[in-house]
Amino acid sequence: MHSTTISRPTDVLQRAILTAALVALALFLGAATAHGETVVKIGVISDLSGPTSTVGVPYGEGVMDAVKYINESGFIPDVTIDAMQVDYAYNVQQALSAYKKFKSQGMVALQGWGSGDTEALVSFVARDEIPVISASYSAHLTDPEKAPYNFFVAADYSTQLRGALKYIKENLATTDAPKIAFIYPDNPYGLAPIAAGKEYAEELGFDIVGEENVSLKAMDATTQLLALQKAEPEFIWIGGTTPSTAVIMKDAAKLGMKATFFTDIWGADENIFKLAPEASTGNISLQTSVTYDDDSEGNTLIRKLTNDQHKMVHYIRGFASMYVMAEAIRRAAEQGDITGPAIKDALESLRDFDPLGLTPPISFFPDDHRPNMAVTLYRLEDGKFVTLGTETLERKKEWLGK
Amino acid sequence: MQTKCGVFFESYREEARLLVGGFQKTRFAAFLLVLLASPWFLNNYHVSVLILINIAVIAAVSLNILTGACGQISLGHGAFVGVGAYAAAYFSFQGVPFLPGLLLAGIVAAVAGACFGIPSLRLKGIYLAISTLAAQLILEYVFLHWEAVTGGSNGMPVDSPSVLGFVFDTDRSMFYLTLIFAVLAVLAASNVMRTRFGRAFVAIRDHHLSAEIVGVDLFRYKLVAFALSSFMAGVAGALWAHYTMYITPEPFGITLSISYLAMIIIGGLGSVQGAVFGAIFITILPEALGYLADGLSGAFPEVSSYLLAAKEGVFGLVLVLFLIFEPEGLNHRWRLFKAYWKLYPFAH
Repeated sequence: MHSTTISRPTDVLQRAILTAALVALALFLGAATAHGETVVKIGVISDLSGPTSTVGVPYGEGVMDAVKYINESGFIPDVTIDAMQVDYAYNVQQALSAYKKFKSQGMVALQGWGSGDTEALVSFVARDEIPVISASYSAHLTDPEKAPYNFFVAADYSTQLRGALKYIKENLATTDAPKIAFIYPDNPYGLAPIAAGKEYAEELGFDIVGEENVSLKAMDATTQLLALQKAEPEFIWIGGTTPSTAVIMKDAAKLGMKATFFTDIWGADENIFKLAPEASTGNISLQTSVTYDDDSEGNTLIRKLTNDQHKMVHYIRGFASMYVMAEAIRRAAEQGDITGPAIKDALESLRDFDPLGLTPPISFFPDDHRPNMAVTLYRLEDGKFVTLGTETLERKKEWLGK
Repeated sequence: MQTKCGVFFESYREEARLLVGGFQKTRFAAFLLVLLASPWFLNNYHVSVLILINIAVIAAVSLNILTGACGQISLGHGAFVGVGAYAAAYFSFQGVPFLPGLLLAGIVAAVAGACFGIPSLRLKGIYLAISTLAAQLILEYVFLHWEAVTGGSNGMPVDSPSVLGFVFDTDRSMFYLTLIFAVLAVLAASNVMRTRFGRAFVAIRDHHLSAEIVGVDLFRYKLVAFALSSFMAGVAGALWAHYTMYITPEPFGITLSISYLAMIIIGGLGSVQGAVFGAIFITILPEALGYLADGLSGAFPEVSSYLLAAKEGVFGLVLVLFLIFEPEGLNHRWRLFKAYWKLYPFAH
């Protein structure tokens, strides 16, 4: 097979049409910004098709819906946010490409996603002065000395665990030295809060009786649970994702274990009620935002935007994450300078900022990027999150980045 | 060696040349010139994709020596790339300059590769695949738990490369740096294939018993193949670490190993040029799908969302289609393409 290289009249016509279309598009884009509207470009790195897409899709949807609301409501006067979303399928190399793509298109801030991409970009965003709000909540990202341009709107994994331990010790424990065990996957995410959690548990007087690894892809956790059963823990931490949590809870129910499980924000979302309806009952889910059924100004708005379609907690965190970024862009615009460093400064000027009640109030400091020290505990009951209470820890300096 | 009709050689030295004839040399020089000039008229995003291609080329070419030439299947190549990345990060942290650090990273990866290559004397095929998979898992565990060296789950920052005071901290400069190493890797791999070692590798791949009968020391050559391949993988990893400036255990998982295998299968097993084609193809594939999805999103929003969701599936589908319709890879297609134009306008 071969083709001739002689231009046919149809080729010439096609080229002319394409050129005209491109010119028209350029004129249209020019006209769109001709009304004194400033277009601010932000990058959105999402996992819509990879291993974390179950939670990546609602989170990304929350971010994009927030952008839509911010633009339509005129939240930032004379500024339109242009969010460029890329599905990177949880592949670090693709995240790097996406970042470079956004950068070449004039991005000033980034909505990130997982641990792999966020950490691979730490040095890039610092060098290029691009503030990033991620959904990877590793504590070491809160230390501006190590990650000056990294932010997130939920208490970090270590703070979540510490907050839960404090609440449990003060409100749920039946003995002075309640027995506790830890189950987590042997990966960066699973390990992130363990050292901090164990240290604080000992400080509070917990008796640590066991520690087991259960993979995020586990189909069975009986072996690990049998090992723990003998130690009779009263509370067991699960640092996993909803599917692995469901496996652990169902196997524990099968073995007749009486322990109360508690999980972090990725460990038990609305899907737990489908995956382990009975086994999950009575256990605890930590959250750093409200759930869809709670009452808050933000929820009223989200219900309106989504026509009362139920949304997961990840959607709400995505929405809050974008809302906080928009507030920083708004403040930077007021100062007349919408650049990466200006948005970073604006974020660091937030003091007890309330993102429509979707998360506890948020404050960032130039030397401390922990958004807050609060974690809310929900009991899982009959397919619903039932609020137990919110624990707010002291913002201790020695906990920063650990 | 296949050449055009009428081309003949008067000495072995002439026949051993990588580029034969004026046209081939001119064509290659033109390609190199375009490549060298490309960062000046491409944007940073495109240049960054070229950098990733350069790094992938080094890794794919190195796996091709082990799997394509020597027939030793490896599912742990991504981890050896990781060993190089962590070694480079560690040496950089200790104050070792970039180039010696890069060399040391390669050596550390080569030692690791040789250690995990020891079972290859007794194991073949699927059994060797499982043992290299074990290497992958063991090394991942080491990356995550040897905190004093690797930083554990928090990972570790790495400085931008610097040579004689010049810091490679832009995409453009990094492109040239990685290109130099990619060219060196391709040259090294091409030349290894034409040495005693290369011939021994091929003999082992084609029939290990015959190879042993004609005097090839199986154990030694298999270890050399593992060490050499891992050395180059380590260099690729070191470049990756210095480019991203921050490394964690996550990127060096089994997915990376599989994507390198996909590169050499799609490119054409056993061919250096094929490994280069495969590296380019697999690195560009997700970007191209992204472009396609963007392009279709205006006209067919439904199609675009399906395409996004099917992105991972497309990767698998492409691999399967290649195995069915083009088992000899892109390199074979390239040869057919060249043959066609040599014969044009005649059919045979």
